[in-house]
Amino acid sequence: MSVIEAKRLIKIFGFGRTAVKAIDGVSLDIDPGDIILIMGPSGSGKTTLLSIIGSLMRPTEGTVLLAGENIAKMSDNQLASLRLRKFGFIFQSFNLLSALTAQENAAIPLMTAGMPKREALKQAKEQLAKLHLGDRLDNLPKDLSGGEKQRVAAARALANQPELILADEPTANLDAKTGAEVMRLLCNAACAENRAVVIVSHDVRLKEVAKRVITIEDGRLTKEEKGNHDANCPVEHKYAH
Amino acid sequence: MTLIIVLTGLYQGWSNKIGEYIRSVPADIWVMQLGSENMFHTPSTLSLSEQADIEKVNGVAGIKPFSARRLAAESAGKAMDLYVVAYDQANDSGKPKSVIGGNSLPGPGEIIIDASQSKKVKIGDKIVAAGRQFKITGFSEGGDLVTSSFAFVAKNELDKIQELPGQTNYFLVSVKPGFSTDKVVNNIKSEVKDVDAVISQKFADNNTKIVKDNFLPVIFILVLIGVAVGIAVIGLTIFTSTIEKSREYGVLKAIGLKNRQLYNIVIAQALLAGVIGFGIGAGLAFVLGKVVGSYVPQFISQIRFFDVMWILALTLAMSILAAIIPIRRLAHIDPAEVFKS
Repeated sequence: MSVIEAKRLIKIFGFGRTAVKAIDGVSLDIDPGDIILIMGPSGSGKTTLLSIIGSLMRPTEGTVLLAGENIAKMSDNQLASLRLRKFGFIFQSFNLLSALTAQENAAIPLMTAGMPKREALKQAKEQLAKLHLGDRLDNLPKDLSGGEKQRVAAARALANQPELILADEPTANLDAKTGAEVMRLLCNAACAENRAVVIVSHDVRLKEVAKRVITIEDGRLTKEEKGNHDANCPVEHKYAH
Repeated sequence: MTLIIVLTGLYQGWSNKIGEYIRSVPADIWVMQLGSENMFHTPSTLSLSEQADIEKVNGVAGIKPFSARRLAAESAGKAMDLYVVAYDQANDSGKPKSVIGGNSLPGPGEIIIDASQSKKVKIGDKIVAAGRQFKITGFSEGGDLVTSSFAFVAKNELDKIQELPGQTNYFLVSVKPGFSTDKVVNNIKSEVKDVDAVISQKFADNNTKIVKDNFLPVIFILVLIGVAVGIAVIGLTIFTSTIEKSREYGVLKAIGLKNRQLYNIVIAQALLAGVIGFGIGAGLAFVLGKVVGSYVPQFISQIRFFDVMWILALTLAMSILAAIIPIRRLAHIDPAEVFKS
């Protein structure tokens, strides 16, 4: 069963003569374990599609079904709960909270979900240790490198065991080596933990990691092809060449 | 906060000071000329012959005359406004509340003045009032009237100044055990012509009412201004912080925090800002009260726990009000904005 079934999505910004159709009839099924790379030129609607799939934005028309329920019709509070439990987000500019330590940043979704602070911090510590950040727990984001920040963001995204991870240009601000580290993480989340991963990126090297590559132009899905994903996720080798 | 606490402290201080001596006078009832409400604006003159009539009233245990008069005085070129009370040794009436320096009772040609004047004069100095010269022989306390103060001379000295033979200003009445003071007040009013009588506490209140009537409206307006400034300062601080952190709030929304949870964050910030401001303001007010009070005798600040508590409650209310605009801003933050780099 699909994690997400998006059907005939349309998103129009503005009204009347100034209206712009950002998404135009896109349908997309996302299955557990999928690694979908969405590509396309700037302004083609990639990020808008990611926002709609991630329940950050409602479509003007169409449906987004999660476990058979249309999330496009849910209230703001229902969507917030859904995002907390089902989705994890990774952003190009990391978007860590500047006043919180790495450990606290990674613990936010757990505490928001109602976990006691001590337990949440313990789990965040374990997660960060898995991402080789065990010695950076008390560092503020300003004291972390780009790769470390993105790994903290990944720990935050994975904290609540989401079914779907949505990543917007996750490697854009990283060098090749750190980009590979982050991709290995995402690849592992899909292959070992059976989570669906949707990545929006201009980076063609990510085709080597993706299972499906979707191209969007002018809000329309123009092409879907198989990626060069290897089931063993040997990301570093493929990504770095 | 400092402004509100200082003003409230001044109001409280002045109210208490002005009524302090009157409250200390050993009497259950003050009897005065009809139409006289307080000692300062509507003075009273009574015939001593009325003493016998009042003594006969049912419930009256004892009665003493009490004379006092406001006088302009001067000592070595320094002007003072004194409310001079006659100490009547025979009747044990008109004593200072307490004496903290020098002689405890004034003899002929002597005067005891309130310690609030001690920056202007010292014991042994000469003081001239109503053309008569007195030697300062003691300092009393509890007689500060903010703009003037009580002073004490022997009864015959004030009699010479007043030149009102057979007259006094007030009668101090004590009530027999088992009698209701209110009942005796009514008895005096109905049985003795042309006099008014009030219980001691009411008479003290009538005198402090002058401060309340003149000072309270001003305090009220200044407190309103203080509240408006407080709301503006806290509101602006939190609003600026919300704008600065709007992307982070967007991230929290994207992660899954509900608007209500974000509002709680903003309200907590506003309350924290308010409480910190209150703490600093209260500290400053206490320091101001001590430091300024030591230089300016009229700066009598009495900061009560009750006042501190209602001002704290006001601060909390101000903080919550101040959070409204930032909260409205927060409600409109679009979580999808977080994808914009």
